Amino acid sequence: MTDKLTGLIAGKPAPTGGVGAAHVGAGLPAMRPVQALQGLLLLMLLLLALPLWAAAPRELDWPALIPEGAPVIPPQLTPLHDMSQLSDALSAESAPAAHQQAPDAPVVKDLDGQQIKLPGYIVPLEVSEEGRTTEFLLVPYYGACIHVPPPPANQIVHIFSEMGVRVEDLYQPYWIEGKLQVRASRSELADAGYQMEAEKIYAYVLK
Amino acid sequence: MYLLRLALASLANRRFTALLTAFAIALSVCLLLAVERVRTEARASFASTISGTDLIVGARSGSVNLLLYSVFRIGNATNNIRWDSFQHYAQDPRVKWAIPISLGDSHRGYRVMGTTGDYFSHYQYGRRQHLALSQGRAFADDPFEVVLGAEVADALHYKLGDKLVLAHGVAAISLVKHDDKPFTVVGVLERTGTPVDRTLHIGLAGMEAIHIDWHNGVPARGAGRISAEQARSMDLQPAAITAFMLGLNSKIATFSVQREINEYRSEPLLAILPGVALQELWSLMGTAEQALFVVSLFVVLTGLIGMLTAILTSLNERRREMAILRSVGARPWHIAGLLVLEALALAVAGIAAGLGLLYAGIALAQGYLQANYGLYLPLAWPSAHEWTLLAIILGAALLMGSVPAWRAYRQSLADGLSIHL
Repeated sequence: MTDKLTGLIAGKPAPTGGVGAAHVGAGLPAMRPVQALQGLLLLMLLLLALPLWAAAPRELDWPALIPEGAPVIPPQLTPLHDMSQLSDALSAESAPAAHQQAPDAPVVKDLDGQQIKLPGYIVPLEVSEEGRTTEFLLVPYYGACIHVPPPPANQIVHIFSEMGVRVEDLYQPYWIEGKLQVRASRSELADAGYQMEAEKIYAYVLK
Repeated sequence: MYLLRLALASLANRRFTALLTAFAIALSVCLLLAVERVRTEARASFASTISGTDLIVGARSGSVNLLLYSVFRIGNATNNIRWDSFQHYAQDPRVKWAIPISLGDSHRGYRVMGTTGDYFSHYQYGRRQHLALSQGRAFADDPFEVVLGAEVADALHYKLGDKLVLAHGVAAISLVKHDDKPFTVVGVLERTGTPVDRTLHIGLAGMEAIHIDWHNGVPARGAGRISAEQARSMDLQPAAITAFMLGLNSKIATFSVQREINEYRSEPLLAILPGVALQELWSLMGTAEQALFVVSLFVVLTGLIGMLTAILTSLNERRREMAILRSVGARPWHIAGLLVLEALALAVAGIAAGLGLLYAGIALAQGYLQANYGLYLPLAWPSAHEWTLLAIILGAALLMGSVPAWRAYRQSLADGLSIHL
C-alpha cells in the first residue's frame, strides 16, 4: 500500500554534448601486442560507454550554485544564540535574529538551460489530491535546525513536477534531474533564484 | 465450462453454508475496502483544501494545530494576534496577497469566519481553483452580511435575504447567542468539497460588531447594550485576528519570510508552510492508518480461512459425490478442478457482495459523513489500488482452494469407488 517510490517520472535527459576519449589511442605503437590488445579493449569499452556518458545529466552539488565571485559574507563573530543571556529574557528578545544574511544572493547564470542532477530535501508547496507533491522547494539540508539562518536564495531550487512525487518522509533526500532555469534578480523583490521542471525524481541512497 | 456448472450445482446443494462462507468473505472485503477508501479520501480532501497559499501565520503553537484550526476548522486557536502584525506583513514588498481570518463563533454547529473580500479573490483550493459564488454577492460594507458555504445553505435551507443569528462559541447547541445583531444572507458559495462548504463568512467588521458590547465576557445588559444600528456607526476596525494567510511574490523567499515572522519582535508569531504541516499531519496519521490496514487484512485472511475450513470439512461428506463423479468418468484432476472452482466461486461471490455492501454503505452514509465529518466519499469505481487488493484476495482464495483440491485429488486416487464401512 505504501508504494515506496523510487524512480517515478519517466523522462529522457537530453544529451549534453560529448567530450570524450578521442586521444586515448594515441600511445599505441610503442606497446607490446598484449598491451596493445588491452589498450584496444579499453578503447572499445570507452567507446561503448560514450553514448551513456553523453546522455547523463551534469551532476551538481550545492556550492556549484554559488557564483565564483560571490561576495563573501564576513563571519558574524557574536554567537547566534548566546546562552549567557538566557537569564536575561528581555535582552535575549532584542538580540539579533538569525535572519537571512544575504537575501538577494547572486546566482550562477551559466547554469541556465543546463541539464543537471542535484540531490536535496523536498519541502512540499503543493500537494495533489492523490497525495503527490507537484511543486516544492529543494534545499541542501532540511530545517529542524533553527539555530542558523535559512538557506539563501541561491541554495534553494523551486521545482515543478507534472507527475509529482509521493513524499512519505521529509527527511528522505532525493535526486532531481531536469533543466535548470536561472532567473536574475529584480532587486526590490529579491526573487532571484533557480527553477526547474523536474524530469526524474528518485530517492537518494547511500552507496 | 461443465466443470464450473457442476461446481455451482454442488454449491447450490449446500447453499446455506456456501452463503454464510461467501457472506463472511463479503464482510471482510467490505471492511478492507472501506478502510482503504476512507483513508485515501481523507487524504485527498485534506490535500485539496488548500492550494497556492505560501504561509499561514497565527499565534505561537504547533504547526499541525495552526493548520487544523485555520484551514480545516478543527480544534481552536490558542490565542489571537494583533491587527498591527497583520498590517506589517500585508504591506511587506515580498507579499503578494494577505487574507486575515477571525474565528471563534458559530451558527448551529457551523463555524463562522470573519475575513475580508480578499478571501474570495485569493483563497484557492484543489488544483489552484478560486472560490466562486453560486448566488448573490460577497459581503460588502454593511457589517451584518453573511456569505454561506454550500453545505450550510443546503442543510439549513437558507436563501438570499434570510436573517440568521450567530452564536457565541463553537458548540452545536449554543446557549449564548448574538441575537441582538442578526445577519442577512447576501451570497452562497459554489460547492468545493472542502471545509469552506461548512463555513459562514462574515466581514471582520461584523465579527467586531457582534462582540463590541461584550466587555465583561458576557453580553452587556440594559443601558450598556449597543444595538446593531449604533454599531454600524462605530469604528469597527478589529484590534486582533486569529490568523492570516500569505501569498508571496517569489516562492524562493518563503523560508526567509517564514523565519522573519517567527522571529518578529513585537509579538510571538508562528508561520508555517501548509504543505510541510500537511506532511507532518500525515506522518502522524500514518501509523494509525497502517494499523487499521493490517487489522482489515487479517480480517480478510480470517474470512478466507473460514472458506477453507468449510470446504475441507465438506470433503468427507462428499466422498460419495466424488465417487459417483469418478464412476461416470471424471478423472482425478477433474475432482481437483471442481474444488478449486468452488473456492473461486465462493471468493468471487464474496468479493462481489463485498463491493455491493461497500457501495450500499457509501450511498447510505455519504450525506451523514459529509455533514458531520466533512468527508466526501464519492460513489466511484474501485481505483487501481483497490482492484489490486481484490486480485490479491482472489489469488489467496485460489491458493487456499488448492489445499482441499490436492487432498481430494489424492483421496479420489486412493479411495476409488470403494466405500469404507
